[in-house]
Amino acid sequence: MVIGKLSLFYSVLLICVTGVTMRAQSPPPKNPKAQGGGSFMVQCPTSTVWHPGSSALGYDPTRQEGQYTGPSTVSVTVDSVPLAYTLSGGAIKCQEISGGDGYMTEADGNQTFMFSFGPLSGMDLIKHGQPGTQLAADFNNYYNSPFLPSACANDAPSTCQSAGPASNSADPTFDPSRPISLNGAVADPAQIMTIGVMNGNLPMPLAAFDEDDEFFLTLSNVGMIMRPDLFEEHTVHFHGYPNASSYYDGVPDATWAINIGGSATYYYLAPDAGTYFYHCHITPPEHLQMGMVGQLYVRPRQNRVPTGTNLYNAIAGSNTGGAFGTLTGPSQQSDLRTACQNTGNSNGTISPDILCSTPIPAADTGATQKVDPFAGVDPRIPAGTPFKYAYNDGDASTRYDIDVPMQIHGFDPNFHFVGMTFNPEGFADMKDKYFLLNGRSYPDTVGVPGYAGGPAASSAAANFTATTVTDWTLIGTGNPDPNSRAIGTEDSDGRTRFSQPLPSLITLIQGERALLRLSDLDVTEYQTLASLGIPMQLVGFQAKLLRDQAGNNLPIVSNSVTLGGGESVDVILDSCLVRAADMSCTTPLAPGIYFLYTPNLDHLSNDAENFGGLMTEVQVCASASSCAF
Amino acid sequence: MSHLIAKTETALKGLILFLVAAGVLLAAATAEAAVPGISAAAPATGTNSITFNLTAAATFITQPDGEQIYSWGYGCAGKATFAPPGVFDLVGFCPTAQVPGPTLIVTEGQTVTITLTNNLPAAAGNTSMVFPGFNVCAATLNTTTGACTGTATGVAGLLTQEAAPSGGTVTYTFVATTPGTRAYYSGTQTDLQVEMGLYGAIVVKPNTTPSGCSAIGSDPQLLGHTDYRHASSAFDHSATCYDREYLFQFMELDSRIHRQAETQVAAIAACNPTTSALPCPATLEVSTEPYHPQYYLINGRSMPDDMDADYAPNYPNQPYNGNPHMHPGDLVLVRTIGQGRWQHPFHEHGNHVRILARDGNLILSQTDSAKLAGRMEFTTDTYPGQSYDGIFYWSGKGLGWDIYGHTLPKVVANISTATESGNTVTVTTIGALPPQIVPGAKVTVKGVSPDGYNGTFTVATTGGAGSTTFTYTDPTSGLAPYTIAPVAFLVPFGPGTGIVSVLTSATDPTPCIADANGYYTQASGAPLTATNYYEWCADHNHPLESNPAGQVGSGGPATQFDDLIATNGLWYNGTPYLGPDAVNRSRGPTPLPPGVALQNPPEESGIAFMWHSHNEREITTNDVFPGGMLMMMLVDPPVFFIDETL
Repeated sequence: MVIGKLSLFYSVLLICVTGVTMRAQSPPPKNPKAQGGGSFMVQCPTSTVWHPGSSALGYDPTRQEGQYTGPSTVSVTVDSVPLAYTLSGGAIKCQEISGGDGYMTEADGNQTFMFSFGPLSGMDLIKHGQPGTQLAADFNNYYNSPFLPSACANDAPSTCQSAGPASNSADPTFDPSRPISLNGAVADPAQIMTIGVMNGNLPMPLAAFDEDDEFFLTLSNVGMIMRPDLFEEHTVHFHGYPNASSYYDGVPDATWAINIGGSATYYYLAPDAGTYFYHCHITPPEHLQMGMVGQLYVRPRQNRVPTGTNLYNAIAGSNTGGAFGTLTGPSQQSDLRTACQNTGNSNGTISPDILCSTPIPAADTGATQKVDPFAGVDPRIPAGTPFKYAYNDGDASTRYDIDVPMQIHGFDPNFHFVGMTFNPEGFADMKDKYFLLNGRSYPDTVGVPGYAGGPAASSAAANFTATTVTDWTLIGTGNPDPNSRAIGTEDSDGRTRFSQPLPSLITLIQGERALLRLSDLDVTEYQTLASLGIPMQLVGFQAKLLRDQAGNNLPIVSNSVTLGGGESVDVILDSCLVRAADMSCTTPLAPGIYFLYTPNLDHLSNDAENFGGLMTEVQVCASASSCAF
Repeated sequence: MSHLIAKTETALKGLILFLVAAGVLLAAATAEAAVPGISAAAPATGTNSITFNLTAAATFITQPDGEQIYSWGYGCAGKATFAPPGVFDLVGFCPTAQVPGPTLIVTEGQTVTITLTNNLPAAAGNTSMVFPGFNVCAATLNTTTGACTGTATGVAGLLTQEAAPSGGTVTYTFVATTPGTRAYYSGTQTDLQVEMGLYGAIVVKPNTTPSGCSAIGSDPQLLGHTDYRHASSAFDHSATCYDREYLFQFMELDSRIHRQAETQVAAIAACNPTTSALPCPATLEVSTEPYHPQYYLINGRSMPDDMDADYAPNYPNQPYNGNPHMHPGDLVLVRTIGQGRWQHPFHEHGNHVRILARDGNLILSQTDSAKLAGRMEFTTDTYPGQSYDGIFYWSGKGLGWDIYGHTLPKVVANISTATESGNTVTVTTIGALPPQIVPGAKVTVKGVSPDGYNGTFTVATTGGAGSTTFTYTDPTSGLAPYTIAPVAFLVPFGPGTGIVSVLTSATDPTPCIADANGYYTQASGAPLTATNYYEWCADHNHPLESNPAGQVGSGGPATQFDDLIATNGLWYNGTPYLGPDAVNRSRGPTPLPPGVALQNPPEESGIAFMWHSHNEREITTNDVFPGGMLMMMLVDPPVFFIDETL
């Protein structure tokens, strides 16, 4: 009966999503081979009021990120109500995660039980250390693979790359009549259980999107199969979302939480650019310690201004008749939502928004949007890629080449063991013994043993000889280190799944700037990360540009940063010692290995091993050909 | 014995206070906060000084696990004057020992004189107070030159002059030179005495009202409600205006230290040197290491006790709460002090906090002193002994949907069939046509397949009163017929059914007119009684829900989940929206709020956020979650009166 209802529900939707009306609902189509029941419901609309489609915007927001050329206002009628919306480009982005359990592998070989989130969309992107967030068209190209997701990259690197399918388990829900899609959403309830159970990752799937996007994040609670005594709900807390709604804030006391066997979709209009993070908010000392933590960042619209645009004018233009990019053109300031002089006091007079993210810089430095000189040179940066920025700085002060999302965490093995063995956990005695960067401790931070110098990351299609892959999402943008393969862990059902896919090794070609998006979700103590040799330039702090209200940049140059749980910073690691006025590098840093490590010396350990812990390398190489990408 | 007596006294006092305050407490289910403290009667004309007579004494504090923890605290040696004036006069109390100590409210420029009497058990030895940020004189202070001359009061100590045991006194004098929030605490054997509870806060109000700030009693943002502020601004600076204020003092507590102290104090008091076989100990030998706290306190209380009222009678020695409430757009001054030896990353859900000052030092731009330069943080660190003043607000700006769930009044009917002949579409509804659908009316058709049927059209003809059909002209032709099977309506959250809607009035019953900042305020003509005062107008009437449960699709981007597979929290008002009338727009199949949302009842219908330590271990009470450094902050609808005394 339930199946019948759901089938009808999905088939009606399929018909509806083809139009360009203000219809929103469009879950990926149902897999005819699977036909599961339950209350799982995945959604990713192809058309919304903000992103109504090509006829209104001149681009398809489900297949393409809209450029930023200043705000424009459209008038629409929604359910008979005439409304005005301010559009600024962007796209519809979607992601799906499972909430459940799983195992991970510590650097001393210990397999640790986790409560955790795992990927249910963008599977191949996640496995290759990239954000799993996708354009709607990619997400809705539903998942179809001959083999269940595995950690072949770790446990059998050579066979994985050459023989591929031989090291994988067959996916019983594979439909050979449809194209293979490794990144599409897992939408069928049977597939959600087949793939979602015990697929936990640490950190949870990386999410990244752009300002002006709408982000639909579906959480499917698959239950914790190793703890059948628990009937835990899970939630997503988008930590740091400014002016958040309580409804989508994920605090179970303040709103709802999704039960086992159900899905719920969180909806966010992208907030101001910055390094945020997300985690479950059910019994936080337990669910966070157990591993339900992850990274999330928002890229600024300054990335999307056309090449040649004056960056200052793009955020400061007065909108008094000029074209975008001129001082009198439309800009961030001409949309009250992102302007800096709104909010303020109770008298209604214009006053500086005391929490404004991006004050206009004190002066126009003349910086313009350019093509990154490493585009096409560094294999991680596709040809033609423009400069990226941490914030809408207006002066290129937060420009960088390589995104390095990095999360600090700590695991208390006793707590995890007690949690796995059905015993009550104590909180006051919690003592972390593993100290993790992206779920890895040294030496796993610098690569999986036996895998250094392995074959280059293959395209998603290369693992399989079957039909065409039809993903639109570009692979290769911003992956900090594709050479560092996913760590796999054999779970209690004998299957090896990838458990720690994010790399924590940083590789830079001389002259490149990395943006270290550093966050800490340790639940017990403060942690310090220090840099040997490369100065740390803190340009952002807790998802805000470090700049005073008068527009003066206030970066902090140091060699260490200390974070408590629930904090983040943006750190530029520059492999150039001296830069010219146009930001080109005149004196690069010498090639070599530079370390990031913790001066909390007792955190340089992997439980009983007194060498390891919170440490990784920054490898600086002279050219692309000498880098081990 | 002494501690037993103390226990009895506090219990009695609690009972009396309970009888006094019970009527007030029963009147409201929620409690709010303000920054209660003690001040002094208005100084005589021409004198700019203020005097406090404080004690240090032993007492017990209560924790939510039922523990009564032996503590030492500062308190009042006599009758106190409560601040802000006229707010806590009926319910306020200042016992001889409380944790934290009395919050001292003074004014910039005042000469502050504090006499401390040491009523701690004799075994505790000397005690004292230090005031970081002020130049303190324990003798005679020349307020003009700052010279400290004459005979020092009290007895000599390491950091400051101290009060000797058994009623010894010491007098400290200083000029409250600059505004801000600062700590005070014991300067004697601090690892033990501060741990035992000898700490408190001093708030210095600015002595001017900066331009742009609203004087006490005339703040339009308070919508005519009671003004609980101590001052109109945190500092003598226009960028520090505020509308509400709260004070949080963070402290961790290791109960083993307290038990040791309690046992030893009792043993020393009971030891008779003439009959004891062994020499009687004279001083405490309490081990404060290894330090292993089990309790994490805000204002001396753990969650959920911190959300009970200020001066709630069940906490006779922990008068201050942590329970912030605010209206949209309120600039909320958060005064915070790290009183313990640990740091605590405090996460304010809902928005960032702009740090104004640390230890009372306003952080301004180096190039423009009118502008702020403190950081914005969503997790604010407290450092041992350090304070900060910060501004938080919540306005809902940028959500992309109407936080109140507003829409224009309209009626909706479900469509069963649609057929096209040429370019004329004939629509049949399930049930009679709404009377507003008449020739010439604008209707919106959606959800009908193929999509060519959908859009906003002018009604051409109808079947008349009681009919179920109407026609309109569609620019396309050749569309296949549309029929929806009635079974589709059984799908609890099923979208995809055709809907026709028509406005019943084009007048917005709750208009939102943007002021220069984009909000609906007095400046753009909002009455102070507006149910949506300070609404972010760019999102006004913008729908959130595409296809919520209950078939009341609002046209928004997001489809809601099935309520039957979710669990609801005690502070959930049952809707995504703000305000008592939002319950009418509840999306659930059953009336919400579900169960008993006593912490956020329907008449309040605020939206709740958790404010808590993000070293999450610290949101527990002696191994039990939830507890510790955790509170719920509520953004209340403007029509809800926030009574900060309850």
